[in-house]
Amino acid sequence: MTASGEPSPAAPAADDAALVARLAARDAVALREVIARYAGPLNRVAFRMTGDAHEAEDIVQEACLRLWDHAPRLAARHPAGTPAGGALRLSGWLARVVTNLAIDRLRQARRVSGEEVPERADEAPLADAMIEADQRDGTARALVLALPERQRAAIVLTYYEELPNAEAAAAMDMNIKAFESLLHRARAGLRQAFAAQGDAR
Amino acid sequence: MSVNENDQDAPIARGSQLARALDDFAVPELPAGFADKVLVAAQARPAPLPELRRSGGGGARGWRLGRRIAIGAVGFGALATAAAATGLLERVGVPVPTPEKVWASITGKERVPPVVAAPAPAIKPPADPAPAALAPVRIEGAIDTPEELAEAFRRIDEVRQGRMEARRQLLDERIEREKERRRAAGLPVPTPEEEARLRQRIEEERTRREGLASQRIEARREELRERIESGEALTGEDIIRPLREDVRALERRERFERLRQMTPEQRREALRRLPPEQRRELMEAWRQRQQQRLRDGVPAAVDGPVPEAPPQDMPEVVSPSGIAPDESPR
Repeated sequence: MTASGEPSPAAPAADDAALVARLAARDAVALREVIARYAGPLNRVAFRMTGDAHEAEDIVQEACLRLWDHAPRLAARHPAGTPAGGALRLSGWLARVVTNLAIDRLRQARRVSGEEVPERADEAPLADAMIEADQRDGTARALVLALPERQRAAIVLTYYEELPNAEAAAAMDMNIKAFESLLHRARAGLRQAFAAQGDAR
Repeated sequence: MSVNENDQDAPIARGSQLARALDDFAVPELPAGFADKVLVAAQARPAPLPELRRSGGGGARGWRLGRRIAIGAVGFGALATAAAATGLLERVGVPVPTPEKVWASITGKERVPPVVAAPAPAIKPPADPAPAALAPVRIEGAIDTPEELAEAFRRIDEVRQGRMEARRQLLDERIEREKERRRAAGLPVPTPEEEARLRQRIEEERTRREGLASQRIEARREELRERIESGEALTGEDIIRPLREDVRALERRERFERLRQMTPEQRREALRRLPPEQRRELMEAWRQRQQQRLRDGVPAAVDGPVPEAPPQDMPEVVSPSGIAPDESPR
Protein backbone atom coordinates (compact mmCIF):
# COMPACT_ATOMS: atom_id res chain seq x y z
CA MET A 1 0.00 0.00 0.00
CA THR A 2 1.15 3.46 -0.67
CA ALA A 3 1.00 6.42 1.60
CA SER A 4 -2.35 7.37 0.20
CA GLY A 5 -3.75 3.95 0.76
CA GLU A 6 -3.88 3.07 -2.89
CA PRO A 7 -2.78 -0.29 -4.25
CA SER A 8 0.91 -0.59 -4.72
CA PRO A 9 2.15 -0.50 -8.30
CA ALA A 10 4.26 -3.55 -7.58
CA ALA A 11 1.87 -5.76 -9.47
CA PRO A 12 2.86 -9.30 -10.27
CA ALA A 13 5.55 -9.02 -12.86
CA ALA A 14 5.76 -12.62 -13.95
CA ASP A 15 3.54 -11.92 -16.91
CA ASP A 16 5.10 -8.61 -17.85
CA ALA A 17 7.10 -10.30 -20.58
CA ALA A 18 3.98 -11.89 -22.00
CA LEU A 19 2.21 -8.56 -21.84
CA VAL A 20 5.04 -6.89 -23.68
CA ALA A 21 4.99 -9.63 -26.29
CA ARG A 22 1.35 -8.91 -26.88
CA LEU A 23 2.08 -5.20 -27.11
CA ALA A 24 4.77 -5.97 -29.64
CA ALA A 25 2.14 -7.82 -31.63
CA ARG A 26 0.08 -4.63 -31.53
CA ASP A 27 -2.54 -6.03 -29.23
CA ALA A 28 -4.70 -3.08 -28.13
CA VAL A 29 -6.20 -5.14 -25.34
CA ALA A 30 -2.73 -5.57 -23.89
CA LEU A 31 -2.27 -1.84 -23.88
CA ARG A 32 -5.53 -1.43 -22.07
CA GLU A 33 -4.33 -3.94 -19.49
CA VAL A 34 -1.14 -2.01 -19.03
CA ILE A 35 -3.09 1.18 -18.48
CA ALA A 36 -5.40 -0.48 -16.01
CA ARG A 37 -2.47 -1.89 -14.08
CA TYR A 38 0.03 0.93 -14.12
CA ALA A 39 -1.62 4.22 -15.04
CA GLY A 40 -2.77 4.95 -11.49
CA PRO A 41 0.62 4.67 -9.84
CA LEU A 42 2.21 6.51 -12.73
CA ASN A 43 -0.30 9.30 -12.40
CA ARG A 44 0.52 9.64 -8.70
CA VAL A 45 4.21 9.99 -9.47
CA ALA A 46 3.60 12.44 -12.27
CA PHE A 47 1.17 14.55 -10.32
CA ARG A 48 3.31 14.74 -7.20
CA MET A 49 6.24 15.65 -9.35
CA THR A 50 4.50 18.37 -11.32
CA GLY A 51 1.61 19.42 -9.08
CA ASP A 52 -0.50 19.64 -12.21
CA ALA A 53 -3.21 17.11 -13.04
CA HIS A 54 -3.25 17.95 -16.71
CA GLU A 55 0.48 17.70 -16.97
CA ALA A 56 0.44 14.43 -15.09
CA GLU A 57 -2.13 12.98 -17.45
CA ASP A 58 -0.02 13.98 -20.44
CA ILE A 59 3.03 12.39 -18.91
CA VAL A 60 1.29 9.12 -18.20
CA GLN A 61 -0.13 9.01 -21.69
CA GLU A 62 3.28 9.67 -23.18
CA ALA A 63 4.79 6.90 -21.05
CA CYS A 64 2.19 4.43 -22.22
CA LEU A 65 2.75 5.37 -25.82
CA ARG A 66 6.49 5.01 -25.43
CA LEU A 67 5.92 1.55 -24.09
CA TRP A 68 3.78 0.85 -27.13
CA ASP A 69 6.58 2.06 -29.37
CA HIS A 70 9.33 0.21 -27.55
CA ALA A 71 7.41 -3.00 -27.06
CA PRO A 72 9.00 -4.83 -30.03
CA ARG A 73 12.47 -4.02 -28.75
CA LEU A 74 11.59 -4.92 -25.18
CA ALA A 75 10.00 -8.15 -26.31
CA ALA A 76 13.12 -9.06 -28.26
CA ARG A 77 15.33 -8.45 -25.26
CA HIS A 78 13.01 -10.07 -22.74
CA PRO A 79 11.33 -13.01 -24.43
CA ALA A 80 8.49 -14.48 -22.46
CA GLY A 81 9.32 -17.70 -20.67
CA THR A 82 13.02 -16.96 -20.39
CA PRO A 83 15.04 -15.69 -17.45
CA ALA A 84 15.40 -12.40 -19.27
CA GLY A 85 11.67 -12.23 -19.61
CA GLY A 86 11.25 -13.01 -15.94
CA ALA A 87 13.56 -10.14 -15.08
CA LEU A 88 11.44 -7.60 -16.91
CA ARG A 89 9.61 -5.22 -14.59
CA LEU A 90 7.27 -2.96 -16.46
CA SER A 91 6.57 -0.96 -13.34
CA GLY A 92 10.23 0.00 -13.09
CA TRP A 93 10.51 0.73 -16.79
CA LEU A 94 7.43 2.93 -16.75
CA ALA A 95 8.43 4.64 -13.49
CA ARG A 96 11.75 5.59 -15.08
CA VAL A 97 10.03 7.01 -18.12
CA VAL A 98 7.53 8.97 -16.07
CA THR A 99 10.18 10.33 -13.71
CA ASN A 100 12.37 11.46 -16.56
CA LEU A 101 9.47 13.00 -18.41
CA ALA A 102 8.35 14.86 -15.30
CA ILE A 103 11.85 16.17 -14.60
CA ASP A 104 12.19 17.23 -18.23
CA ARG A 105 8.93 19.09 -18.16
CA LEU A 106 9.72 20.80 -14.88
CA ARG A 107 13.03 21.96 -16.26
CA GLN A 108 11.38 23.10 -19.45
CA ALA A 109 8.73 25.03 -17.51
CA ARG A 110 11.40 26.62 -15.37
CA ARG A 111 13.31 27.69 -18.44
CA VAL A 112 10.19 29.17 -19.98
CA SER A 113 8.70 30.82 -16.91
CA GLY A 114 11.80 31.40 -14.87
CA GLU A 115 9.98 30.08 -11.85
CA GLU A 116 10.89 27.10 -9.76
CA VAL A 117 7.48 25.43 -9.85
CA PRO A 118 4.67 25.93 -12.31
CA GLU A 119 1.65 26.80 -10.25
CA ARG A 120 -1.26 26.45 -12.62
CA ALA A 121 -3.91 24.92 -10.43
CA ASP A 122 -6.48 27.45 -11.54
CA GLU A 123 -6.11 26.41 -15.16
CA ALA A 124 -6.58 22.72 -14.48
CA PRO A 125 -9.88 21.09 -15.38
CA LEU A 126 -10.17 19.94 -11.78
CA ALA A 127 -9.67 23.43 -10.52
CA ASP A 128 -12.67 23.35 -8.23
CA ALA A 129 -11.52 20.20 -6.56
CA MET A 130 -8.06 21.55 -6.32
CA ILE A 131 -9.27 24.73 -4.70
CA GLU A 132 -11.29 22.76 -2.20
CA ALA A 133 -8.34 20.58 -1.41
CA ASP A 134 -5.97 23.46 -1.18
CA GLN A 135 -6.72 24.08 2.43
CA ARG A 136 -6.02 20.45 3.23
CA ASP A 137 -3.10 19.57 1.07
CA GLY A 138 -1.63 23.00 0.58
CA THR A 139 1.03 22.35 3.13
CA ALA A 140 2.03 19.02 1.61
CA ARG A 141 2.06 20.38 -1.91
CA ALA A 142 4.13 23.33 -0.87
CA LEU A 143 6.58 21.08 0.93
CA VAL A 144 7.04 18.65 -1.94
CA LEU A 145 6.92 21.09 -4.78
CA ALA A 146 9.45 23.33 -3.08
CA LEU A 147 12.09 20.64 -3.45
CA PRO A 148 14.41 20.66 -6.44
CA GLU A 149 13.04 18.27 -9.04
CA ARG A 150 15.44 15.39 -8.48
CA GLN A 151 15.06 15.55 -4.71
CA ARG A 152 11.33 15.70 -5.25
CA ALA A 153 11.49 12.58 -7.39
CA ALA A 154 13.47 10.80 -4.69
CA ILE A 155 10.81 11.60 -2.09
CA VAL A 156 7.93 10.72 -4.39
CA LEU A 157 9.40 7.36 -5.32
CA THR A 158 10.56 6.28 -1.90
CA TYR A 159 7.98 7.85 0.42
CA TYR A 160 4.81 7.96 -1.62
CA GLU A 161 5.41 4.97 -3.89
CA GLU A 162 7.41 3.08 -1.28
CA LEU A 163 9.96 1.87 -3.75
CA PRO A 164 13.13 0.39 -2.31
CA ASN A 165 16.11 2.67 -2.73
CA ALA A 166 17.61 0.42 -5.39
CA GLU A 167 14.47 0.52 -7.53
CA ALA A 168 14.08 4.25 -7.06
CA ALA A 169 17.71 4.73 -8.03
CA ALA A 170 17.11 2.62 -11.14
CA ALA A 171 14.04 4.69 -11.97
CA MET A 172 16.21 7.78 -11.83
CA ASP A 173 19.14 6.23 -13.69
CA MET A 174 21.41 6.72 -10.72
CA ASN A 175 23.73 4.46 -8.82
CA ILE A 176 22.60 3.61 -5.34
CA LYS A 177 25.21 5.67 -3.55
CA ALA A 178 24.39 8.79 -5.45
CA PHE A 179 20.70 8.19 -4.96
CA GLU A 180 21.08 7.75 -1.21
CA SER A 181 23.02 10.97 -1.06
CA LEU A 182 20.26 12.68 -3.02
CA LEU A 183 17.61 11.18 -0.77
CA HIS A 184 19.48 12.37 2.30
CA ARG A 185 19.50 15.91 0.99
CA ALA A 186 15.82 15.65 0.05
CA ARG A 187 14.80 14.48 3.50
CA ALA A 188 16.87 17.15 5.16
CA GLY A 189 15.38 19.82 2.93
CA LEU A 190 11.89 18.56 3.57
CA ARG A 191 12.38 18.58 7.33
CA GLN A 192 13.84 22.05 7.31
CA ALA A 193 10.96 23.33 5.19
CA PHE A 194 8.44 21.64 7.43
CA ALA A 195 10.08 23.11 10.51
CA ALA A 196 10.04 26.53 8.88
CA GLN A 197 6.31 26.19 8.12
CA GLY A 198 5.69 25.27 11.74
CA ASP A 199 7.61 28.28 12.92
CA ALA A 200 5.65 30.47 10.54
CA ARG A 201 2.37 29.12 11.87
CA MET B 1 7.47 16.78 15.81
CA SER B 2 8.64 13.29 16.44
CA VAL B 3 12.09 12.34 17.50
CA ASN B 4 12.60 10.75 14.14
CA GLU B 5 12.21 14.07 12.41
CA ASN B 6 15.20 15.43 14.25
CA ASP B 7 17.38 12.90 12.45
CA GLN B 8 17.89 14.54 9.11
CA ASP B 9 19.03 11.32 7.41
CA ALA B 10 16.43 8.91 8.77
CA PRO B 11 13.45 7.78 6.67
CA ILE B 12 10.28 9.73 7.26
CA ALA B 13 8.42 7.76 9.88
CA ARG B 14 4.78 6.92 9.27
CA GLY B 15 2.57 8.71 11.70
CA SER B 16 4.98 11.55 12.30
CA GLN B 17 3.80 15.14 11.85
CA LEU B 18 5.81 15.43 8.66
CA ALA B 19 4.35 12.17 7.35
CA ARG B 20 0.83 13.31 8.14
CA ALA B 21 1.46 16.56 6.32
CA LEU B 22 2.88 14.75 3.32
CA ASP B 23 0.01 12.29 3.23
CA ASP B 24 -2.36 15.18 2.70
CA PHE B 25 -0.94 15.57 -0.80
CA ALA B 26 -3.91 14.04 -2.58
CA VAL B 27 -3.78 12.97 -6.19
CA PRO B 28 -6.72 13.45 -8.55
CA GLU B 29 -7.79 10.42 -10.52
CA LEU B 30 -7.13 10.12 -14.16
CA PRO B 31 -10.17 11.00 -16.28
CA ALA B 32 -12.50 8.16 -17.11
CA GLY B 33 -11.77 8.09 -20.78
CA PHE B 34 -8.05 8.07 -20.31
CA ALA B 35 -7.47 4.51 -21.55
CA ASP B 36 -9.53 5.08 -24.68
CA LYS B 37 -7.65 8.26 -25.41
CA VAL B 38 -4.34 6.47 -25.11
CA LEU B 39 -5.49 3.63 -27.32
CA VAL B 40 -6.60 6.03 -30.01
CA ALA B 41 -3.30 7.82 -29.81
CA ALA B 42 -1.46 4.50 -29.99
CA GLN B 43 -3.34 3.45 -33.09
CA ALA B 44 -2.59 6.79 -34.71
CA ARG B 45 1.06 6.47 -33.76
CA PRO B 46 3.35 5.94 -36.73
CA ALA B 47 5.00 2.57 -36.84
CA PRO B 48 8.21 2.56 -34.87
CA LEU B 49 11.43 2.64 -36.77
CA PRO B 50 13.20 -0.69 -37.09
CA GLU B 51 15.66 -1.30 -34.34
CA LEU B 52 19.26 -0.49 -35.01
CA ARG B 53 21.15 -3.73 -35.12
CA ARG B 54 24.14 -2.69 -33.15
CA SER B 55 25.19 -6.04 -31.84
CA GLY B 56 25.08 -9.51 -33.18
CA GLY B 57 23.51 -8.50 -36.42
CA GLY B 58 25.64 -9.64 -39.29
CA GLY B 59 24.39 -6.90 -41.58
CA ALA B 60 25.44 -3.98 -39.43
CA ARG B 61 28.65 -5.65 -38.52
CA GLY B 62 29.26 -6.47 -42.14
CA TRP B 63 28.65 -2.89 -43.14
CA ARG B 64 30.96 -1.57 -40.48
CA LEU B 65 33.60 -4.05 -41.49
CA GLY B 66 33.14 -3.18 -45.13
CA ARG B 67 33.33 0.49 -44.32
CA ARG B 68 36.53 0.00 -42.41
CA ILE B 69 38.00 -1.95 -45.27
CA ALA B 70 36.95 0.78 -47.68
CA ILE B 71 38.47 3.47 -45.47
CA GLY B 72 41.60 1.41 -45.11
CA ALA B 73 41.86 0.87 -48.84
CA VAL B 74 41.41 4.57 -49.56
CA GLY B 75 43.90 5.46 -46.84
CA PHE B 76 46.37 2.96 -48.15
CA GLY B 77 45.96 4.32 -51.64
CA ALA B 78 46.57 7.85 -50.40
CA LEU B 79 49.60 6.77 -48.46
CA ALA B 80 50.90 4.79 -51.39
CA THR B 81 50.49 7.80 -53.64
CA ALA B 82 52.33 9.95 -51.16
CA ALA B 83 55.00 7.33 -50.84
CA ALA B 84 55.39 7.30 -54.59
CA ALA B 85 56.69 10.81 -54.30
CA THR B 86 58.30 10.93 -50.91
CA GLY B 87 59.79 7.48 -51.13
CA LEU B 88 61.20 8.35 -54.43
CA LEU B 89 62.54 11.57 -53.04
CA GLU B 90 64.35 9.71 -50.34
CA ARG B 91 65.70 7.20 -52.75
CA VAL B 92 67.11 9.80 -55.05
CA GLY B 93 68.81 11.35 -52.14
CA VAL B 94 67.82 14.95 -51.98
CA PRO B 95 69.07 15.72 -48.51
CA VAL B 96 72.49 14.12 -48.60
CA PRO B 97 75.61 14.99 -50.47
CA THR B 98 75.95 12.19 -52.95
CA PRO B 99 73.58 9.66 -54.44
CA GLU B 100 75.72 6.83 -53.17
CA LYS B 101 75.53 8.10 -49.66
CA VAL B 102 71.84 8.68 -49.94
CA TRP B 103 71.45 5.12 -50.92
CA ALA B 104 73.66 3.94 -48.12
CA SER B 105 71.88 6.01 -45.50
CA ILE B 106 68.46 4.89 -46.64
CA THR B 107 69.20 1.23 -47.06
CA GLY B 108 71.29 1.20 -43.91
CA LYS B 109 74.09 -0.59 -45.64
CA GLU B 110 77.37 0.15 -44.06
CA ARG B 111 79.42 1.94 -46.57
CA VAL B 112 82.74 3.16 -45.37
CA PRO B 113 83.76 6.23 -47.24
CA PRO B 114 87.03 5.73 -48.94
CA VAL B 115 89.90 7.02 -46.97
CA VAL B 116 91.37 10.03 -48.58
CA ALA B 117 94.71 8.66 -49.38
CA ALA B 118 94.97 10.22 -52.72
CA PRO B 119 97.54 12.86 -53.22
CA ALA B 120 96.58 16.42 -52.74
CA PRO B 121 94.69 17.82 -55.67
CA ALA B 122 97.03 20.67 -56.05
CA ILE B 123 100.09 18.54 -56.57
CA LYS B 124 98.63 15.80 -58.68
CA PRO B 125 98.75 16.34 -62.41
CA PRO B 126 95.34 16.30 -64.00
CA ALA B 127 94.32 12.94 -65.38
CA ASP B 128 92.51 14.57 -68.20
CA PRO B 129 95.00 15.97 -70.65
CA ALA B 130 92.57 18.44 -72.13
CA PRO B 131 92.29 20.71 -69.11
CA ALA B 132 96.00 20.56 -68.70
CA ALA B 133 96.48 21.68 -72.24
CA LEU B 134 94.18 24.60 -71.62
CA ALA B 135 95.95 25.46 -68.43
CA PRO B 136 99.57 26.17 -69.03
CA VAL B 137 100.28 26.82 -65.39
CA ARG B 138 102.14 23.88 -63.93
CA ILE B 139 102.07 23.10 -60.29
CA GLU B 140 105.30 21.84 -58.98
CA GLY B 141 105.83 21.16 -55.34
CA ALA B 142 104.07 23.37 -52.87
CA ILE B 143 101.55 25.91 -54.04
CA ASP B 144 103.04 29.29 -53.35
CA THR B 145 101.74 31.55 -56.06
CA PRO B 146 98.27 32.85 -56.79
CA GLU B 147 98.54 31.41 -60.26
CA GLU B 148 99.25 27.93 -58.98
CA LEU B 149 96.42 28.25 -56.52
CA ALA B 150 94.04 29.45 -59.21
CA GLU B 151 95.11 26.57 -61.40
CA ALA B 152 94.42 24.17 -58.56
CA PHE B 153 91.03 25.72 -58.06
CA ARG B 154 90.32 25.49 -61.76
CA ARG B 155 91.10 21.82 -61.88
CA ILE B 156 89.07 21.25 -58.78
CA ASP B 157 86.12 23.09 -60.32
CA GLU B 158 86.35 20.87 -63.35
CA VAL B 159 86.16 17.85 -61.14
CA ARG B 160 83.28 19.37 -59.29
CA GLN B 161 81.38 20.16 -62.44
CA GLY B 162 81.91 16.68 -63.76
CA ARG B 163 80.82 15.27 -60.49
CA MET B 164 77.64 17.33 -60.44
CA GLU B 165 76.85 16.18 -63.95
CA ALA B 166 77.45 12.60 -62.95
CA ARG B 167 75.11 13.13 -60.07
CA ARG B 168 72.37 14.32 -62.35
CA GLN B 169 72.80 11.27 -64.53
CA LEU B 170 72.73 9.03 -61.49
CA LEU B 171 69.62 10.76 -60.33
CA ASP B 172 67.88 10.17 -63.64
CA GLU B 173 68.92 6.55 -63.65
CA ARG B 174 67.75 6.10 -60.11
CA ILE B 175 64.38 7.65 -60.80
CA GLU B 176 63.92 5.38 -63.79
CA ARG B 177 65.00 2.34 -61.81
CA GLU B 178 62.63 3.24 -59.02
CA LYS B 179 59.76 3.65 -61.43
CA GLU B 180 60.56 0.28 -62.96
CA ARG B 181 60.71 -1.27 -59.54
CA ARG B 182 57.36 0.18 -58.63
CA ARG B 183 55.79 -0.98 -61.85
CA ALA B 184 57.14 -4.47 -61.30
CA ALA B 185 55.88 -4.48 -57.72
CA GLY B 186 52.48 -3.18 -58.72
CA LEU B 187 53.00 0.00 -56.73
CA PRO B 188 51.67 3.39 -57.85
CA VAL B 189 53.98 5.15 -60.23
CA PRO B 190 54.07 8.93 -60.28
CA THR B 191 52.21 10.52 -63.12
CA PRO B 192 54.22 12.72 -65.48
CA GLU B 193 52.94 15.74 -63.60
CA GLU B 194 53.97 14.28 -60.27
CA GLU B 195 57.34 13.34 -61.66
CA ALA B 196 57.82 16.83 -63.00
CA ARG B 197 57.01 18.27 -59.60
CA LEU B 198 59.36 15.80 -58.01
CA ARG B 199 62.18 16.71 -60.34
CA GLN B 200 61.53 20.35 -59.77
CA ARG B 201 61.77 19.87 -56.05
CA ILE B 202 64.98 17.94 -56.45
CA GLU B 203 66.40 20.61 -58.70
CA GLU B 204 65.46 23.36 -56.27
CA GLU B 205 67.02 21.46 -53.42
CA ARG B 206 70.15 20.80 -55.43
CA THR B 207 70.45 24.43 -56.42
CA ARG B 208 70.03 25.47 -52.82
CA ARG B 209 72.62 23.00 -51.61
CA GLU B 210 75.09 23.83 -54.31
CA GLY B 211 74.69 27.48 -53.53
CA LEU B 212 75.50 26.84 -49.89
CA ALA B 213 78.42 24.66 -50.86
CA SER B 214 79.74 27.33 -53.19
CA GLN B 215 79.62 29.90 -50.43
CA ARG B 216 81.51 27.61 -48.14
CA ILE B 217 84.06 26.76 -50.79
CA GLU B 218 84.59 30.37 -51.63
CA ALA B 219 85.13 31.26 -47.98
CA ARG B 220 87.76 28.57 -47.65
CA ARG B 221 89.41 29.55 -50.89
CA GLU B 222 89.60 33.09 -49.70
CA GLU B 223 91.46 31.91 -46.64
CA LEU B 224 93.88 29.99 -48.85
CA ARG B 225 94.38 33.02 -51.10
CA GLU B 226 95.20 35.16 -48.11
CA ARG B 227 97.71 32.62 -46.92
CA ILE B 228 99.37 32.60 -50.34
CA GLU B 229 99.40 36.38 -50.45
CA SER B 230 100.99 36.46 -47.07
CA GLY B 231 103.83 34.39 -48.53
CA GLU B 232 102.84 31.06 -47.16
CA ALA B 233 103.35 27.95 -49.24
CA LEU B 234 100.49 25.49 -49.17
CA THR B 235 101.16 21.82 -49.11
CA GLY B 236 98.85 19.02 -49.95
CA GLU B 237 98.27 18.53 -46.25
CA ASP B 238 96.87 22.03 -45.94
CA ILE B 239 94.16 21.02 -48.33
CA ILE B 240 93.84 17.44 -47.28
CA ARG B 241 93.41 18.16 -43.56
CA PRO B 242 90.09 19.90 -43.84
CA LEU B 243 89.20 17.25 -46.33
CA ARG B 244 89.77 14.58 -43.73
CA GLU B 245 87.83 16.57 -41.18
CA ASP B 246 85.01 16.66 -43.63
CA VAL B 247 85.25 12.92 -44.13
CA ARG B 248 84.84 12.39 -40.40
CA ALA B 249 82.00 14.88 -40.30
CA LEU B 250 80.36 13.06 -43.15
CA GLU B 251 80.74 9.73 -41.40
CA ARG B 252 79.17 11.17 -38.27
CA ARG B 253 76.43 12.72 -40.23
CA GLU B 254 75.63 9.51 -42.00
CA ARG B 255 75.58 7.71 -38.71
CA PHE B 256 73.33 10.35 -37.24
CA GLU B 257 71.02 9.97 -40.18
CA ARG B 258 70.85 6.22 -39.85
CA LEU B 259 70.25 6.47 -36.13
CA ARG B 260 67.58 9.05 -36.65
CA GLN B 261 65.67 6.71 -38.92
CA MET B 262 65.71 3.92 -36.35
CA THR B 263 63.16 3.29 -33.68
CA PRO B 264 64.30 4.21 -30.15
CA GLU B 265 64.92 0.54 -29.38
CA GLN B 266 66.93 -0.03 -32.55
CA ARG B 267 68.83 3.16 -31.83
CA ARG B 268 69.79 2.07 -28.34
CA GLU B 269 70.87 -1.31 -29.68
CA ALA B 270 72.91 0.26 -32.47
CA LEU B 271 74.66 2.55 -30.02
CA ARG B 272 75.33 -0.36 -27.72
CA ARG B 273 76.96 -2.33 -30.52
CA LEU B 274 79.31 0.45 -31.48
CA PRO B 275 82.88 0.15 -30.25
CA PRO B 276 83.25 2.21 -27.07
CA GLU B 277 85.52 4.78 -28.65
CA GLN B 278 83.15 5.32 -31.55
CA ARG B 279 80.22 5.55 -29.20
CA ARG B 280 82.06 8.12 -27.11
CA GLU B 281 83.01 10.05 -30.21
CA LEU B 282 79.44 9.99 -31.45
CA MET B 283 78.01 11.08 -28.14
CA GLU B 284 80.60 13.79 -27.81
CA ALA B 285 79.76 15.04 -31.28
CA TRP B 286 76.13 15.00 -30.37
CA ARG B 287 76.79 16.97 -27.20
CA GLN B 288 78.77 19.53 -29.13
CA ARG B 289 75.99 19.83 -31.65
CA GLN B 290 73.49 20.26 -28.88
CA GLN B 291 75.58 22.95 -27.23
CA GLN B 292 76.00 24.66 -30.55
CA ARG B 293 72.27 24.48 -31.14
CA LEU B 294 71.60 25.92 -27.70
CA ARG B 295 74.01 28.75 -28.37
CA ASP B 296 72.32 29.35 -31.70
CA GLY B 297 68.88 29.23 -30.10
CA VAL B 298 67.82 26.15 -32.05
CA PRO B 299 65.46 23.83 -30.16
CA ALA B 300 67.14 20.70 -28.89
CA ALA B 301 66.32 17.23 -30.09
CA VAL B 302 63.19 15.84 -28.58
CA ASP B 303 64.23 12.28 -28.01
CA GLY B 304 66.97 12.60 -25.49
CA PRO B 305 70.62 11.82 -25.81
CA VAL B 306 70.39 10.46 -29.27
CA PRO B 307 72.03 12.17 -32.15
CA GLU B 308 69.44 14.13 -33.94
CA ALA B 309 69.27 14.60 -37.64
CA PRO B 310 71.58 17.20 -39.04
CA PRO B 311 69.87 20.36 -40.00
CA GLN B 312 68.48 20.23 -43.45
CA ASP B 313 70.34 23.31 -44.47
CA MET B 314 73.69 21.80 -43.69
CA PRO B 315 75.85 22.58 -46.65
CA GLU B 316 77.27 19.90 -48.78
CA VAL B 317 80.37 18.39 -47.30
CA VAL B 318 83.18 19.61 -49.38
CA SER B 319 86.79 20.20 -48.94
CA PRO B 320 88.22 23.64 -48.98
CA SER B 321 89.13 22.89 -52.47
CA GLY B 322 85.58 22.14 -53.41
CA ILE B 323 85.89 18.39 -53.81
CA ALA B 324 83.75 15.99 -51.89
CA PRO B 325 85.74 13.84 -49.52
CA ASP B 326 84.99 10.61 -51.26
CA GLU B 327 86.43 11.69 -54.51
CA SER B 328 89.94 12.18 -55.58
CA PRO B 329 90.91 14.85 -57.98
CA ARG B 330 91.97 13.62 -61.27
